[in-house]
Amino acid sequence: MQKKTVLFICFLSIFTVIAVVAALAVTTPAHAMSVEQAIAQTPTGMGPGQIDPAAKPGFLGIPGAPHPFWLYGLLWAVWVGWIFSTVGAFGGIMAGVGHITIFGLADFGRAFKKTSPALNKLITDSIRVSNQWLVGLSALISSTNYYRMGRIVLPLGLFLAGGSILGAYFIPVLTAGKIKLSSYIGYFGLCVFLIAGVLFYETTEKGQSKKKAAKEAARAFEASMKKKPTEGAAPSAELTGTKITSFSFTKVKFTFYGVEFSFNPLWPVIGGFFIAALASFLGIGGGFLYVPFLTSVAGLPMYIVAGTSAVAVLVGMIVSIFSYMVVKGVPVDFMLVGFELIGIATGSFIGPYTSKYIPDVWLKRLFVILALYVGLRYTTKGFLGYSIVPPF
Amino acid sequence: MDMPVIFKMVDPYLIWLYRITHHGWLDFFLGTFVLALMAVIIGEFTIALVFLAARHRIEQTTGDAVRYQNMSVDALAARDKQAYSAANKLANDAFGHTFFHQIAMSAAFLWPLPFVLAWMQYRFLEVDFPIPWTGYSVNYIAMFLLVYVVAYFLFKQVKYKIPFFRRIKVILDNYKNTTSEMKTLADLHPLENPKKT
Repeated sequence: MQKKTVLFICFLSIFTVIAVVAALAVTTPAHAMSVEQAIAQTPTGMGPGQIDPAAKPGFLGIPGAPHPFWLYGLLWAVWVGWIFSTVGAFGGIMAGVGHITIFGLADFGRAFKKTSPALNKLITDSIRVSNQWLVGLSALISSTNYYRMGRIVLPLGLFLAGGSILGAYFIPVLTAGKIKLSSYIGYFGLCVFLIAGVLFYETTEKGQSKKKAAKEAARAFEASMKKKPTEGAAPSAELTGTKITSFSFTKVKFTFYGVEFSFNPLWPVIGGFFIAALASFLGIGGGFLYVPFLTSVAGLPMYIVAGTSAVAVLVGMIVSIFSYMVVKGVPVDFMLVGFELIGIATGSFIGPYTSKYIPDVWLKRLFVILALYVGLRYTTKGFLGYSIVPPF
Repeated sequence: MDMPVIFKMVDPYLIWLYRITHHGWLDFFLGTFVLALMAVIIGEFTIALVFLAARHRIEQTTGDAVRYQNMSVDALAARDKQAYSAANKLANDAFGHTFFHQIAMSAAFLWPLPFVLAWMQYRFLEVDFPIPWTGYSVNYIAMFLLVYVVAYFLFKQVKYKIPFFRRIKVILDNYKNTTSEMKTLADLHPLENPKKT
């Protein structure tokens, strides 16, 4: 057990050190603009796209910016926590909707598109990192728990995290201070469509039948085990652990406690890179992409995938938050994050008590409709400049 | 940046912690350590309250997760791939439910941390902390997190000497006696776990 703990700590430390060293290597001259510098470049006045220095400071201390009132942040986070605990997904997206729309940050930032592009992009980056603080917390919790359950496989984690470090590091370095708020909202909308698709599949007959079949198979196994207990049924020493039976650059075959699995080692690296890049770009976790990717595309067992992908998300989030905040100097409204944590805690507790009154399938369908609305609104507003669904 | 009203009220007291010895580095570490310790204690207190409020629900969801997790390990031991995949899927679903309890619990523990960072942002945003012999520097966030980890482990040493936390420990110890232990893949290894196999 101690050996496993040391290995796990080493694993996380190595990647954190790599991230820190990589980030430090380019830290010195690459700092993005500070809030004060961005404000100084913005024309003063009372009109749109201008800053009135006498106005009350709001988000990030910018005069005249919307002040995400702590009660709104708290209440919205209760809603996010409730969604998270009832639907089991969509929480990161809803946190993003709060940061973009509910607190009025997108409309405020968009006003500076032409008059002060630096301020416009700084607000975009701050929204991205605020989301990632919340996602990173979830990843930290799930990684710790999967580790305790013995469900993290280090070699796969190495491949996956290797790709995810590259994605999570290069996206902030290449895009911080360069992405316009409208483009960010557009891509965010496309991602919402993707989640709506995954949620919808889970409510279809095919998605539901898989769960039913799993329950029946588990029940049958449980019944057979009552007749014949597993004590003494453990495989022999030669069969235990992960044993690689054949290795090539396109296929790794291994037995996992006597059961054979195989995967293409290039897939975790490529997938890790693109998923972490997308997650870092949008300020989301990407866990919802890792699991189906590794189970469907790479053909790995869920047992290995869920825990290991949680570590990949955690590593990706540490690298991405570090790259944005330390390498690129992007500011974050910590007060807002603090109130959101309290709200998420409250919502996550209320969720399980209320969800028993609403069938799981209908809850998910409700969120598919909500996701389609949010997706349509953000995609059209981001790429066309106007929303095709109300409010226009 | 102008401080919010709540920070203006506590700022004179918090900054006093940073002016005790009048030695820059020592004062910074002392002040940050006291802040980190307060964040740890408040977090430990609120997580304990949340746990007491929701313990029956936590027991139920954790029970399901443990049951399916153990079933998947048993199926693997029996080399039944189909039962293993099925139990594994159900274990993941059940784990999803416990996961959100853990999010709530962890948020209840970590919530003071962003507020401390928010206050420090107003005071130390422009300060660079050089890393000796490297020529590089880190900001206040890295320094605070480092001190926070130290404060967490130090408080852990004395936590159960406080009556309130001792009561929580009694409840947790009772769980260990009444619930089945969660099996891990290590339980399948006869050499490392001679008692269990």
